[in-house]
Amino acid sequence: MKRYSRRDFLRLMALSAGSLTFNQLLAACGLEPPASLPMGTPTSFSPTNTAVSGETLPPAATEAPHFSTDLVVARGSDPEEMVRRALAAFGGMQMFVPKGASVVVKPNICVAYNTYEYASTTNPWVVGALVKLALEAGASQVQVFDFPFGGTAQEAYVRSGIEEQVKAAGGKMMPMPDFKFIETEIPGGVDLKTTRAFQDALDADVLIDVPIAKHHSSTRLTLGMKNLMGLVFNRGAIHTKLGQRIADLTALFRPTLTVVDAVRMLMNHGPSGGNLDDVKKMDTIIVSPDIVAADSYATTLFGMQPDDIGYIKAAAEMGLGSSDLKSLKIEEIAVGG
Amino acid sequence: MENMTDVEASPTNRARKRSKRWVTARKIVQYLTLAIFLVLFLMTRRGGWSPALVDLPMRLDPLLMLAHLLASRSFLVASSLALITILLTVVFGRAWCGWICPLGTTLDIFSFHRSRGKRKPISENWRSIKYVLLIAILTAALFGNLSLLALDPLTLLFRSLTVAVLPALNQIVRVTEAALFQIPALSDAVAAFDMWIRPALLPSEPLYFKDIFLFAAIFAVVLALNLLAPRFWCRYLCPLGGLLGLLSRAAFFRREVSEPCKGCTLCTSACPTGTIDPEKNYASDPAECTLCMECLDPCPRSLIRFTPGFSLAEGQEYDPDRRQILTTFGLTVVALALSRTDSLAKREPPFLIRPPGAREVNDDVLGMSKCIRCSECIRACPTNALQPSVFEAGIEGFGAPVLIPRLGYCDFSCNVCGQVCPVQAIPPLSLEEKQQQVIGKAYIDESRCIAWSDHQDCIVCEEMCPVAEKAIQLEEKEVWGKDNTLVTVKLPHVLRELCIGCGICEYKCPLNGESAIRVFVPETSVPF
Repeated sequence: MKRYSRRDFLRLMALSAGSLTFNQLLAACGLEPPASLPMGTPTSFSPTNTAVSGETLPPAATEAPHFSTDLVVARGSDPEEMVRRALAAFGGMQMFVPKGASVVVKPNICVAYNTYEYASTTNPWVVGALVKLALEAGASQVQVFDFPFGGTAQEAYVRSGIEEQVKAAGGKMMPMPDFKFIETEIPGGVDLKTTRAFQDALDADVLIDVPIAKHHSSTRLTLGMKNLMGLVFNRGAIHTKLGQRIADLTALFRPTLTVVDAVRMLMNHGPSGGNLDDVKKMDTIIVSPDIVAADSYATTLFGMQPDDIGYIKAAAEMGLGSSDLKSLKIEEIAVGG
Repeated sequence: MENMTDVEASPTNRARKRSKRWVTARKIVQYLTLAIFLVLFLMTRRGGWSPALVDLPMRLDPLLMLAHLLASRSFLVASSLALITILLTVVFGRAWCGWICPLGTTLDIFSFHRSRGKRKPISENWRSIKYVLLIAILTAALFGNLSLLALDPLTLLFRSLTVAVLPALNQIVRVTEAALFQIPALSDAVAAFDMWIRPALLPSEPLYFKDIFLFAAIFAVVLALNLLAPRFWCRYLCPLGGLLGLLSRAAFFRREVSEPCKGCTLCTSACPTGTIDPEKNYASDPAECTLCMECLDPCPRSLIRFTPGFSLAEGQEYDPDRRQILTTFGLTVVALALSRTDSLAKREPPFLIRPPGAREVNDDVLGMSKCIRCSECIRACPTNALQPSVFEAGIEGFGAPVLIPRLGYCDFSCNVCGQVCPVQAIPPLSLEEKQQQVIGKAYIDESRCIAWSDHQDCIVCEEMCPVAEKAIQLEEKEVWGKDNTLVTVKLPHVLRELCIGCGICEYKCPLNGESAIRVFVPETSVPF
């Protein structure tokens, strides 16, 4: 038998040690972001403000919206036309999307299980209309993405019907790779101080949040603010103290515009659904630059009050928007026949 | 210049040129089939290519198809594609091994011929191992077990790629991407690269496999054996090689060495399977010759021909004799008897979750009697839920797919495993059928559940449940909290009659370590 020299032995030890540490090394060098990274910037709902990354804005709740109305409720049978008319009531999409802006539209594509009729995912024509309007307003690009909890994103994009409408409207369905979730500080976060947030949503000049209004067993309802959970990496960690933490995420992402899709509402067995008996046709769309206001109004469609929903209450207390429906200027429009 | 033409015109040189061309042709075919195999491997996924296409390699493998026929006692029409390989072998001998087999080509690529030092010659008797393996496989198949098919070259390569090569490659790419993404100048390029490469070539999510080192080690050993002898695996171990070797005895084309051979032994040292025997006038065993054509060119007189003829090749010393055959048969039967008196056979492992419908179509849930261990389902599973079993189901279950909910759940929108299975060991259920297929039943551990034991609302399991009516329901109840106050908490209950056992609740349960909700086997046969 061959005798091993000391050199052989050392070489073997080095090799084994190397192979053992390789993985940790790889993980360590890649996944820990340097502390000096520019943090994402919350987008403000002021139409003149197109935030660029690098500066950190305080919560912008005190800024007065420059519109004659705070919230528009459109009712009708054609989702695309409802979106168009609702935005027209604010003076058009160009009030929110400056020329050349990069826009992110964030629908709710939470599972790959059902088509849109089951109301577990946002209405594809509502999403498509927003993409189209943003491009018409001069957006340089419109990206659409979500991070489903059940099934893969590719499958969910297709089954929800959203991919087809977004592509037809000229937008891009994007994947959400891990490395774009970057540990980010939450300015003004009460319970959640940092989270791994999806960078493209933070970097976008304009973030349009397009939830579908539906039942959820913990928060009771999934609306605009709850929909932002699709933009963070570790959602399991958020599930305790959910109300406050969702409000904290709202402080981080600060969508420019919130469009609640209540064309179909999932009344029970959310968020995944799967039974048409749980779906209620409401033919309504709620649009507001104030996410708290939009969510607050949506609660009334379920026969609830804004304060029934923990995250609405928490967000209003943080000054992220108004949940006082009586003080809001609400414009209701009927679209089509 | 004139000189050159002279040389080229000589008959020997023309023959040598021709023989070089044969070797080149073989290499082209080899690399092409390996490339096809790899592309089909990558396309074995949801949204990939049609199962009819990606299943082709396994269906061309006569060992897999024959063993499956014996074990399942059912004939699949698509299996008859293996007759192509049988026909090829009856005409050309083990050309499959030399020209087509992707593992053979991989072994040629990793030949380590430069690192191969002087070594003791390996006894010719080792060649009988492959026959022993073959007999063991067919015997076990006869008694309804296919676990040894994990040693078929195609399943071995496919599994190694699935369970070791791809996850490691994916990890290296992911970590590199994450590192380069931090550099502002590169982040756009990295994002574009990522979109281009996923999911077309690499999976969108990281892959995790239990016992990954074991599977990597098996592959590494098969490659490393090349250090002892070229194509060590093919010469001594490969059971498919054994089967094709047996058929090759009747092969129509045979290697012949004509007179006047002067015994220079150049062909002997060129032969990668070491079957050219100087003692026997440089004849070779058709059961060992892979028609690689490497011996043609070294022959200074170009005396080697592959000539047609009907006859049976003469036997070799290492051919299995009756005693070896009977011993192997007997030992296999004993091993099966042992495995079936393992305690697992009396009380089924409580967490042995099989892919949808597999429990119903396989006579033996432990051994998954129809499963040829090809790992296509494991490769295709989009949630990384299916894992090759090591000892979960005893020795007979080795290599069969087992669903480990804590690693991945059965996606409600997916039925790909049954679609890609080349032998219907997982039935090809439609999506509607699959969504109703019960693969297990979830039970809550109330002593650990956040809601039950800590009186905090969690509801994740209920939220995740994909069943339309929700197989997990929440009961609002007032309970005494920690500081002696009444709190209202939502307590999850499993409605067992609705639960399909997909395991998403177990996967997503936010509890540390083991989940507080676990999927158990759907039913237990009481052994009395």
